[in-house]
Amino acid sequence: MTTSTADTIAAGSTPTWQRWMRRHGWTVGVWLLLVVLVAWYSTLIPSFGSFQFATIITNGTPWVFLAAAQAVIVIAGGLDLGVGGMLVLTNVATARFMDGQSFEVTIMIAIAAILAAVVINAFVGWIVTASKVPDIVITLGSLYFYQGLALAILPNPGGGTSEGFRWLFTGSDVGTGSNPWPATVMIAIPILVVAWWLGKTRSGLSLYAVGSDRTAAYLSGIRAGRTKIVAFGVGGAFAAMAGLSTTAIAGSGNANTVGGNMTLNSVAAIVLGGVALTGGIGSVIAVVPAGLILFFLSPILTAMGVDPNRAQIIQGVLIVVVMMIAGLIEWRRQRRV
Amino acid sequence: MTTTSPDLLAAREISKQYGPVVALRSVDMTVRPGEIHALLGANGAGKSTMVKILSAVISADSGSVSVHGEATHLRKPSDAMQAGIATVFQDPALIPDLTLAQNLRISHLSEDDVMPWLDRMNLGGIDFGLQVQDVPLAVLRLLDLARALAHDPQLLMLDEITAALTTDQASYVFEVMREWKSRNRSVLFISHRLGEVLELCDYATILRNGTNVADFDLTDVDEAQLVTAMLGDELGEQAVAASETSKESAAPTLVQEADRPVVLELKDVHLSDKVNGVSFKLHQGEILGLTALEGQGQNGLFQVLSGDHRPSSGELIVDGDELSARSPYDAIRKGVVLVPAERQNALLPQRSVRENLSLPLYNRISKWFTLARDETERVESAVDRLDIDVRAGSQVQRLSGGNQQKVTIGRWLASGFDTLLCFDPTRGIDIQTKAQIYELLRQLADDGSSIVLYTSELREIPLVCDRVLVMYNGRIVHEQDAASATEEGLLSAAHGLEGASA
Repeated sequence: MTTSTADTIAAGSTPTWQRWMRRHGWTVGVWLLLVVLVAWYSTLIPSFGSFQFATIITNGTPWVFLAAAQAVIVIAGGLDLGVGGMLVLTNVATARFMDGQSFEVTIMIAIAAILAAVVINAFVGWIVTASKVPDIVITLGSLYFYQGLALAILPNPGGGTSEGFRWLFTGSDVGTGSNPWPATVMIAIPILVVAWWLGKTRSGLSLYAVGSDRTAAYLSGIRAGRTKIVAFGVGGAFAAMAGLSTTAIAGSGNANTVGGNMTLNSVAAIVLGGVALTGGIGSVIAVVPAGLILFFLSPILTAMGVDPNRAQIIQGVLIVVVMMIAGLIEWRRQRRV
Repeated sequence: MTTTSPDLLAAREISKQYGPVVALRSVDMTVRPGEIHALLGANGAGKSTMVKILSAVISADSGSVSVHGEATHLRKPSDAMQAGIATVFQDPALIPDLTLAQNLRISHLSEDDVMPWLDRMNLGGIDFGLQVQDVPLAVLRLLDLARALAHDPQLLMLDEITAALTTDQASYVFEVMREWKSRNRSVLFISHRLGEVLELCDYATILRNGTNVADFDLTDVDEAQLVTAMLGDELGEQAVAASETSKESAAPTLVQEADRPVVLELKDVHLSDKVNGVSFKLHQGEILGLTALEGQGQNGLFQVLSGDHRPSSGELIVDGDELSARSPYDAIRKGVVLVPAERQNALLPQRSVRENLSLPLYNRISKWFTLARDETERVESAVDRLDIDVRAGSQVQRLSGGNQQKVTIGRWLASGFDTLLCFDPTRGIDIQTKAQIYELLRQLADDGSSIVLYTSELREIPLVCDRVLVMYNGRIVHEQDAASATEEGLLSAAHGLEGASA
């Protein structure tokens, strides 16, 4: 009787691959864009080999982790301007305390740093939830707080870490080499674990639920406040990972790094990665190539011979153009439905 | 059953205040096991507040709730679920960006839990991989019902569940309610459709202005008695009389269609596969009814009429000119305006009544910087004419559903229009406001406006319309004088069962 309704909701009404592309087309597209850019880059520079490849992945690692941190929080309907500050704070604190320590001790310090970041950022999430002050205000405060704390811990660039710890994130004892695998594995494991958690478990799906429709989530028995606190905690862990990889790459800490810039890059990366700033939509897997692409823009522009002072203009235009294309695709899709 | 208390749910002296507005004042309600209990009242009487308190979405200021004689503290929705109370809210509590399967998952359910119920509601073939936002509202309501049932509650609360459902879908819900009753479980049923209530329910608690004013055993009560109790003696008689008069005023004015100019005409309009060749003429001063079961192309037809979608083929002619609208803006400039099904889509919920009313006036560039005096007056006169309760008018979202609907219509009164498209304008609205809306539509038509009224409530057709069209499978399958239309006749036409008159 209600033929048309029944058809649209019946199993098998649209081919599986078509639906899969509709859901994951964006993720596939961003990965393809990264592949294309790498291929193009390889033609721009005199020699392209495993060293160049490893350099891109390794140096892009902090960008990827920071984008993942922002993605988890934004999916849950939040926004954390403090992630860049957390990166700097973790970088500085670990560089100071790891200096001259053995590999085992540096690993212990790294784990402690991640746990501390989880607790601190979850506390920020709790403040956001309890005070009902918008995220952007509270986390602007946490950004300054982290950055200031970093300066207090290490006023001048310095510190150090163990060779083994540097190898863990860079495949080299000196922070730069031709082995891309350690960085790849260090990115892949946490990202895949979190992607599985977000997509398959009830607690992970709660993040999407709260970000998508807070009222409906509440009525479904989900505790919105607690969910947001969890999101901030997980985001804090990723931001700490970004700081740890920075320590490994640089071999030192620098409290003068501008955390705010890194935060804004993380926001740009998640938008490129298809995470809706309004919450509830997106995947951490798509955020990986998006973070790498954003990092990758400046080497490409350098290789093209663009004046570094003008590169930012081009970066800005590129981001806007890519987002306009995305908007067009989405608009055409909705028009068809 | 070891419990000694005969009552399943006993709410005592429930009170709730929102700032200065008293929503509930010491309400008592008792639901026994194995009964279908109606909670009735006009808009703003406090029904929704009561449901929200019993489902622990909000907490009462004072009063107690006990389930099976045990005092229950309801602080969050999961407490209510644990106490055996499951609710289907007016807006389905499903997450739009997640799939149906993921939505079940966050409610601790699996597909197998809801499948038996979906089967009975003719939704057995549903695809759980669909995202909620791609599923029609009516289906979501039924899904939400299946989800509530899967929790196996003692008390099932249904808040206006039938409002967006077609007749056949509503009948599934009724079957499920009866089945639930036969299992010695209970249902708390909220509906503005008193016919349904009398047919299904055993008892009724009536709320008026936040207080329970009467309890009825529904075995020997008629609609008029319920209405009188809901509205108070005087108002009740007026409302009954009003719906009678609008019936009378509609019936004798048999429109001499041929004499009146055609203001809007559709010629063989198609819209992808939803609308398959619809043609009709709308005359000046006419109220043209349109009805159909869910998903027969009425949404697509209204998208074409309101300028939201261009037809894939065919013509839309307004005042003699073809209208090729790129957006509703173009249609509105030609005087064709829409009152959509979802009030929230039409209103700025956080802005004031007056701001909402004057919103369409912003369309005129000359008015961007100022609202001229006469327009302020037009807004005021719309408030008066519609009898909008503006006490809570600083934010439209605080108004009751009926008053919100008046604002959506009032917007167009303030800006002026030629053709008014109404999509189920009385959905979820109390009988008194309904009568006011009927009367208003008739007045507008008498003043020379034309109206297309889609309604899923068949009894509105003879009450309000001059002529009626029935859609089935994207086509108009039936046309007749509204005055001679019967619910049975329309229903069989809507099922595509009739080959006769066209």
